[in-house]
Amino acid sequence: MAVYGQVILLGMMLFVIGGACVLIRRNLIMILIGVEIMLNAAGIVFIAASLRWGALDGQAFVIFIMAVAAAEVAVGLALIVYCQGRSGSINADTYNTLKG
Amino acid sequence: MQSDWIVILPHLFLAGGGLLIFCIGAFWKNRPDGTLFITALLSAGAAAVEALAFSGSGTPFAGMVSGDSFSRFFIALFCGISVITLLFSRRYALHRRFSGDEFYGLILFATLGMALAAGATHWAILFLGVELLSISLYILIAIHKSSQAANEAGIKYFIMGSAASAILLFGIAILYASTGEMGIVESLNAPDSRNPLFLLGLGMVITGFGFKISLVPFHLWTPDVYQGAPAPVAGFLSTGSKIAMVAALLRIVTGASPPVWEVIAPVIWTLAALTIIVGNLTALVQDHIKRLLAYSSIAQMGYLLMALLASRGDGAGASAVIFYSVIYAFMDLGAFGAVSLVSLGEPMARADRDSLTAYRGLGYEYPFAGALLAVSLLSLAGLPPTGGFIGKFALFQAAIGADYMAIAVIGIIGAIISIYYYIKVIAVLYMRPTRVPTPHTFPGFSGPVACASIFALIVLMGILPGSLLEVIAVILS
Repeated sequence: MAVYGQVILLGMMLFVIGGACVLIRRNLIMILIGVEIMLNAAGIVFIAASLRWGALDGQAFVIFIMAVAAAEVAVGLALIVYCQGRSGSINADTYNTLKG
Repeated sequence: MQSDWIVILPHLFLAGGGLLIFCIGAFWKNRPDGTLFITALLSAGAAAVEALAFSGSGTPFAGMVSGDSFSRFFIALFCGISVITLLFSRRYALHRRFSGDEFYGLILFATLGMALAAGATHWAILFLGVELLSISLYILIAIHKSSQAANEAGIKYFIMGSAASAILLFGIAILYASTGEMGIVESLNAPDSRNPLFLLGLGMVITGFGFKISLVPFHLWTPDVYQGAPAPVAGFLSTGSKIAMVAALLRIVTGASPPVWEVIAPVIWTLAALTIIVGNLTALVQDHIKRLLAYSSIAQMGYLLMALLASRGDGAGASAVIFYSVIYAFMDLGAFGAVSLVSLGEPMARADRDSLTAYRGLGYEYPFAGALLAVSLLSLAGLPPTGGFIGKFALFQAAIGADYMAIAVIGIIGAIISIYYYIKVIAVLYMRPTRVPTPHTFPGFSGPVACASIFALIVLMGILPGSLLEVIAVILS
């Protein structure tokens, strides 16, 4: 139990780091990386929990997470490339024309 | 084993239709006009018919998806939503040159995601459904390539949506770490409901849901995304994706054990109250129709959440939530559909007819679209004889019946405030002089068909709600 607790703690720290990256960085690529770190932090927690409960379903979930993360990066990068082509900037602060 | 496959047949129709559309788009270059549109309509229609006609038994695939009548009802509703979205977007997409295979295929995949999220009994399926829905929507929102606003809305929805998915996923991971159960209901019947790890996981799951349903204080992305997205896609986003998450939340609320419910209920109470108050008050000062509809849809979700509180026990709340979800789907689709019909003639540079001043006297310029917008707004305001009145009545009746007096009073005050901004738009439509009329564009046949069917459904559900209520009672029994 003790070891798994530490791994879960590692997952939480990674999640906080990823969340901070999303909130603080203004570069769209860095925001995307932050989201990826958050997703993979969840994967680490799943693996630790799976070991703790002696069940395989948590580890199976990690494979799905990898597939989903890859799909999300593919779409996200395509959007970012398209943004760069349109406005020449990948700074998140330049996307503020929609206001009310 | 055979019945397993019958249960997921609607899902297979949607997935197969989506893949078929991608294949047609890639390999059949000189196809007749409208092939993709017809294929998408037929797939969604077949899935709806299958969901309504055949009954599988139990929970197939090791209890990962549910084949109960609850999820089949919602699959049929989502197919209906996607059919109406397809009808409204046919001409709109042609004019704005995004009617390729990706548009029609992704609509079907997003519908599949909704069906999975609403029918999931296992966290993995719920997450996969939510992600399939979100990833399809990231592309659908930014699909109008020559529009700067759609581009910005796409990137905003992508950042908020992917962060919300990550929070939801981490919450699921923590719940699994603390309970060892991957089934949604099983994990919410944990013996130790005061375990801090469990509470953290539950909080993050609710936060993830809050982002997707755009509850206050997680709603900030909503108005920007709705304003930038093409109008039919915004309608699809505000009805389908939100109702799928509400259905999943309903499963969570009714499945949680009493000690867990004691923890969740005050959170939902607070979110509902904040959502109703902030949604309605911010909608008062909007002067763009799509932003106004965005804040109105936030407030509508607050009313639904209020009735969710009452949905444990005798089922009055659950029946009201399902009934209002159906009505909300049609009236919001109607409002956004009307916006897309009157925006057909706009030049390419401007995304949609959006500013309220552009709607002056529009009821005379476009009699049918104007009437659809007016009826949808009346229904959203909850005025008789529309379906929205019966739906709101059922919601408040359920909340009061379950002794949630304070939130019901907040909700009724919010509903009264909301009448002002809905009527304001209707007044602009009919009581101001017409601006210089724009040349009409031929609206095609699909738009008017969708227009007429929504009109009929809203009025029909206001006059004869009995049959739908009976169906819902059968689902919940």
